[in-house]
Amino acid sequence: MYKLEVQDLHKRYGSNEVLKGVSLAAKAGDVISIIGSSGSGKSTFLRCINLLEQPHSGKILLNGEELKLKPGKDGALKAVDAKQLQRMRSRLSMVFQHFNLWSHMSALDNVMEAPVHVLGVSKAEARDKAEHYLAKVGVAHRKDAYPGHMSGGEQQRVAIARALAMEPEVMLFDEPTSALDPELVGEVLKVMQDLAQEGRTMVVVTHEMGFAREVSNQLVFLHKGLVEETGCPKEVLANPQSERLKQFLSGSLK
Amino acid sequence: MIFDYNVVLDSLPLYFSGVLVTLKLLAISLAFGLLLAVPLALMRISKQAAVNFPAWLYTYVIRGTPMMVQLFLIYYGLAQFEAVRASFLWPYLSSATVCACLAFALNTSAYTAEILAGSLKATPHGEIEAAKAMGMSRFTFYRRILLPSALRRALPQYSNEVIMMLHTTSLASMVTLVDITGAARTVNSQYYMPFEAFVTAGLFYLGLTFILVRLFRLAEHRWLAYLAPRKH
Repeated sequence: MYKLEVQDLHKRYGSNEVLKGVSLAAKAGDVISIIGSSGSGKSTFLRCINLLEQPHSGKILLNGEELKLKPGKDGALKAVDAKQLQRMRSRLSMVFQHFNLWSHMSALDNVMEAPVHVLGVSKAEARDKAEHYLAKVGVAHRKDAYPGHMSGGEQQRVAIARALAMEPEVMLFDEPTSALDPELVGEVLKVMQDLAQEGRTMVVVTHEMGFAREVSNQLVFLHKGLVEETGCPKEVLANPQSERLKQFLSGSLK
Repeated sequence: MIFDYNVVLDSLPLYFSGVLVTLKLLAISLAFGLLLAVPLALMRISKQAAVNFPAWLYTYVIRGTPMMVQLFLIYYGLAQFEAVRASFLWPYLSSATVCACLAFALNTSAYTAEILAGSLKATPHGEIEAAKAMGMSRFTFYRRILLPSALRRALPQYSNEVIMMLHTTSLASMVTLVDITGAARTVNSQYYMPFEAFVTAGLFYLGLTFILVRLFRLAEHRWLAYLAPRKH
């Protein structure tokens, strides 16, 4: 059975169709990299999975449970049951390009917040877990620091710890290294590689071809709202079939 | 010119009781004003006109009319109506203290609501998305993320509002209350020494303002540390 299944997702802004039927299926332990040029719809696709963006049609299933959707006034789909959406979101942690840590909370409080106030975990247990995950991503020494006082790499690792503390079924990464200095990219990718090796299920929108090739076991190349090519990353990257992917890779591979 | 210290010294007990009245008026009106301001501010950021409009109208009317007019309307104006005099609220509404507190609380609630609404609107969008993506319910999101963050960021502007309110309470002396200004007016009418009487009142207000500024600096140090430059 698939952990996460997305079927035939369509999304448009006004008359501009940015997703024209994109599907994805992740089994437990899969690490799927989604690549593509800007405007290809890859971030929008990821954000539709937890309904931060509203798709216009398509199905989203987590562990076989379908997210119930109905069309709103503007034609975009919205959740029928807010409780179901909240529950499914809490099983799908997201890591953002710009970290999006809560700026008025320390690193530790950021990581404890959702387990305590969404999952109802006790404070003591959440604190132990938060300290564990902060140590795991290598920022335990910064647990009392505010996000504004940390480097981008530290902030992103705290954000990953925050996502991990939810013990999610699937982790969604939205260009997690795109806002970081080249020097800081490595420390975040290392953490993500460790997570992949632990067998966590991850969907990663990325520009890091090295990560896509070495860490992920499935590659999806999106172009103009459609899956142009997909398959084993090493094969697809070594031997691209479509003109568009060849062109894309000639620009990005060093 | 000779400054008559004896008059001031003799009247000090009156001034100190005036300080207590001023602080009581300030504390009560700020407490109720803030309680009222939070829901008003939440209404003011609503996209639904039916929710937003009443709050907009309220803050527009209150901020668009002078404090003294509002105070006179409540203290003198309401008493004109038989229905008000006959109601169970009359024992309260005939009290100058209650009327002053009511007028001040309504006034500060409108200004505070606009300060808070501005602060709520300035919440970084990414932090809102992060809360949604974690599966927070709307209520939890307001209680844990949006309000704590906005209230903190509103502190510097709110401190200004509090100091303005301190000075606004001097209007209470217009409705028979003997606050600091009321004490000065009493001293003036007894000795006909307006300079001594009002300079002393001014010094008391300066002292109170100094304390309030220090308190807010402590509060900002405590709750806005995350916006301060990194120290270690």
